[in-house]
Amino acid sequence: MMHAARRIAGLTLLWLLLTVAGGVVIARATLESRREAFETDARIAHRLLSQRVVEHDAILSTLALLQPGANAGEAAPEQRLPSVYPQVLKVLRRDAAGTWPIEPAAGLEAGETVSRQAGRAALAQVDFAAGRYTIVRAADPASFALQIDLRALVPRAEWPLPDEGPVRLALEHAGQRRVLMPGRSDARGGWHFGFRKHLAADSQPFDVVADLRVGWGELPWVAMLAWGLGCALVLAMVQAALQQRAERRRAQELLRLGQVGRLNALGELAAGMAHELNQPLTAVLASAHAAQRLLAEDPPELDDARRAIDQAAGQARRAAEVIGRLRRTVERPELGARLVPQRLDEVVRRALHLLGPDCQRARVMPEWQAGADVTVQADPVALEQILHNLLSNALHALQQVPVPERRLLLSAQVDGRRGVLVVRDSGPGIARDALPRLFEPFFSTRDGGLGLGLSLCETLATGMGGELTGGNAATRGAEFRLSLPLAAATTP
Amino acid sequence: MNTPTSPLIHLIDDDTAVREALALLIGTVGLRVQTWADPQAFIEQFDRDGIGAIVLDVRMPGISGLTVLDRLIAQGVDQPVIMLTGHGTVDLCRRAFKAGAAEFLEKPVDDELLLETLQHAVRAHVGSRQRHRADRRARERYALLSEREREVLGLIVGGLTNKEIGRALALSPRTVETHRANLFTKLEAESLAQVIRQYADLVEAGAP
Repeated sequence: MMHAARRIAGLTLLWLLLTVAGGVVIARATLESRREAFETDARIAHRLLSQRVVEHDAILSTLALLQPGANAGEAAPEQRLPSVYPQVLKVLRRDAAGTWPIEPAAGLEAGETVSRQAGRAALAQVDFAAGRYTIVRAADPASFALQIDLRALVPRAEWPLPDEGPVRLALEHAGQRRVLMPGRSDARGGWHFGFRKHLAADSQPFDVVADLRVGWGELPWVAMLAWGLGCALVLAMVQAALQQRAERRRAQELLRLGQVGRLNALGELAAGMAHELNQPLTAVLASAHAAQRLLAEDPPELDDARRAIDQAAGQARRAAEVIGRLRRTVERPELGARLVPQRLDEVVRRALHLLGPDCQRARVMPEWQAGADVTVQADPVALEQILHNLLSNALHALQQVPVPERRLLLSAQVDGRRGVLVVRDSGPGIARDALPRLFEPFFSTRDGGLGLGLSLCETLATGMGGELTGGNAATRGAEFRLSLPLAAATTP
Repeated sequence: MNTPTSPLIHLIDDDTAVREALALLIGTVGLRVQTWADPQAFIEQFDRDGIGAIVLDVRMPGISGLTVLDRLIAQGVDQPVIMLTGHGTVDLCRRAFKAGAAEFLEKPVDDELLLETLQHAVRAHVGSRQRHRADRRARERYALLSEREREVLGLIVGGLTNKEIGRALALSPRTVETHRANLFTKLEAESLAQVIRQYADLVEAGAP
């Protein structure tokens, strides 16, 4: 019991270790893949935004070059741009002598100066709070400016981040910050992934900032749980297998003990019987001898002699009673009452399974020649006992011949109204002088053999209305034939 | 022979029939038999001074024959013990002899064998009792000798002549002769050979 408890504690500890280690590995792998996906998405978002803002430069360059609406009275075609580019709120122009049409215009004028010096578009006004910024391109005769709507800056096509997704995306510039996508920032603790990169346009030098928070709740708990359960299942199976092995071993031990116990009981029975019988026999012999001596005296002492003979007769009766009592004690209940149909192939399979280890030890591969499906009427225990005895004897005999010559053949046949089970071995066979005494109780050719095995088998076979015969096979070795009545259902 | 001093066989067996039959058989050769059903009663009550033998069954309820044997030997009982068993093994036999059994017989026992064994045992017991009695008497007589007489006896047993003894003990041969005559009288000895045979052991053992 202590042993089993220790093993269960050990397995539980192992399970905890496996579960924790596996959980950590799963969690780390998941976090890593989340981070990779996040960085990829952030890079794509950055590229798309960069393309968008470079577009603004291109629009301004085109306007500066083409100078649309230069002729007075001509409709200003640049005012149609907002309908093509949703992010463009307004297109502003300042003609050569004019001013910017919005107040305050200081930002635009400063931007225009920068633009004129750099020869490219420049940032004029940034108002992230209002969601707008303006870029300007100085040109002649007219300079142009674009007011951009940050809310419409995100290009919907190809955009990798879902609207309600977990990633927070913002633009930052000189202390101002505009969130383009709010993300889900409710997670406390957990892990944080960050991304920050300049937009690839000198005119709009904003930082793209992406954040992702992965909370504890987002760990792959289901997978980790499944892993833990899987480990528990495997370890439980290991435990069950170990337990089963231990139980099998115990069962074998019990079987062995049972056999030893039976032998001890038999020895005790023999000793008890010897005493019980020896007492009256001693009295009989002593009385008879005394009578002889009394009668031989001159003159013979007839009275004493008569008394001695009476005593002898009485004690002989007592001996007979001892035998009778013994028989009644060990008498088996009638076998006839327990007869049921038994398939011989199943009986053979069971017996061979039981004797498997013995066969391996004796290096014998029993051959079962399954003939027709033979079902006999028999007591299961008695039948198994007979077969077990015959097989044990065969294995014993086979140990006297070299390993390559060891054959053990079992076959079933139908002979009239009887099913016959044949056990044949390739051992040395049965000695000629032992043949007539084969089934005699207490006759054994084996050292230390009780000589009860075959005698018991024959008694059991006869008790089931069958017959057990034994002899030497035509070729070599011994052959035993157990014939039993066929079960009613079997068709011969 | 049926006098109170004739040998008595003690037969201990719990089985009445066996007891009666064996007693009858033993009685046919003129030996007296006292039967005991209870080994304990036997140990407590039997006559230890009598001449005879003990026949003991090995297997008895309550107390085993071997245990009874051990107790008898421990108490210095000198009657030969013959063990009877219905289920004799080599081991049992060895143990019985080791414990001091005189003989070990298997039941059922042949009459000739049993009776011969008993007669032999009784003879052996009588012999040993006589030797013991002779020893005891010799010791009693030896105790009567004076210090000087014992010295003289020691030298006689050592094979010295009267003259040599006189020299060794600084006595006149005549005095030695007197001591020698007294000593023979006290020991009730008739010859030098008898003195040496009966008393050499006592002299060498230096018994008082």
